[in-house]
Amino acid sequence: MATATYPPPPPYYKLYKEYSRDPNSAPAPPPPVQGAYVLYGANYTTDDVLPGLEEQGVRQLYPKGPNIDFKKELRSLNRELQLHFLELADVLVERPSQYARRVEEISLIFKNLHHLLNSLRPHQARATLIHILELQIQRRKQAVEDIKRRREEAQRLLSEALGTLEQ
Amino acid sequence: MDIISQLQEQVNTIAAIAFNTFGSLQRDAPPVQLSPNYPEPPANGNPVEDAANLAEQPKLLSAELVKAAKQFDALVAALPLSEGGEEAQLKRIAELQAENDAVGQELQKQLEAAEKELRQVQELFSQAADNCLNLKKPD
Repeated sequence: MATATYPPPPPYYKLYKEYSRDPNSAPAPPPPVQGAYVLYGANYTTDDVLPGLEEQGVRQLYPKGPNIDFKKELRSLNRELQLHFLELADVLVERPSQYARRVEEISLIFKNLHHLLNSLRPHQARATLIHILELQIQRRKQAVEDIKRRREEAQRLLSEALGTLEQ
Repeated sequence: MDIISQLQEQVNTIAAIAFNTFGSLQRDAPPVQLSPNYPEPPANGNPVEDAANLAEQPKLLSAELVKAAKQFDALVAALPLSEGGEEAQLKRIAELQAENDAVGQELQKQLEAAEKELRQVQELFSQAADNCLNLKKPD
């Protein structure tokens, strides 16, 4: 089976021919994409949002809305979970054939718990971002102080050197 | 390892413990006789060891389950909640961004000034070196 030759390189390598002599003859890198883009045939969007519980067909046990009190909801869900465990235990003793509903509810609570925790991630991300920005600001301020001090030292040394040179 | 991952870990642990608890409790539940006209279930080999084993097993498992739940509450308590929710964070990010740019500008200026002085010092140094080499007095 004879093999075909390698495919030719894509045509836009010609744009970068005299890049080494002056870099800005080449086209600028394309701007970062916003909104929807296609990668390997699949469509992605830059703003990815966490799909709500309803869309996944799971009943939401905690109130909707932008700012909910996570601590309270998590604690209440945890207590409810314990209650359902107890319910499941005594259902299994009295009427073992009705376990299905209890199991459904327990898995429902677990899904809600996980979803609630996942929706805490953006908060954490923003807090991390704030923290990183603060750190950067600190470091840049230190760098500025550092450079100022070194410049004054340099000035002082130069003046002393000139002083010794005169006499 | 951050606290939210710990919380998710704890949820999985609770689920696994619950699953193990119910599984093992069901798995070796001792047979009991339900209605009088049913035969007595045959007594298995060594009743006392199993009974002791069976008696203290649910206590252990349930205690562990409750402990896992308490740890979960402790972790929830340790959650830091930013007051004022999302828009306060976005506002904070915006002002930090502004401050960051300001400090960046100043840093840029300082760097350019330092480089200018560096070039001046180098020229002076080179002139001084030339003078020393061919023995001529400065002005």
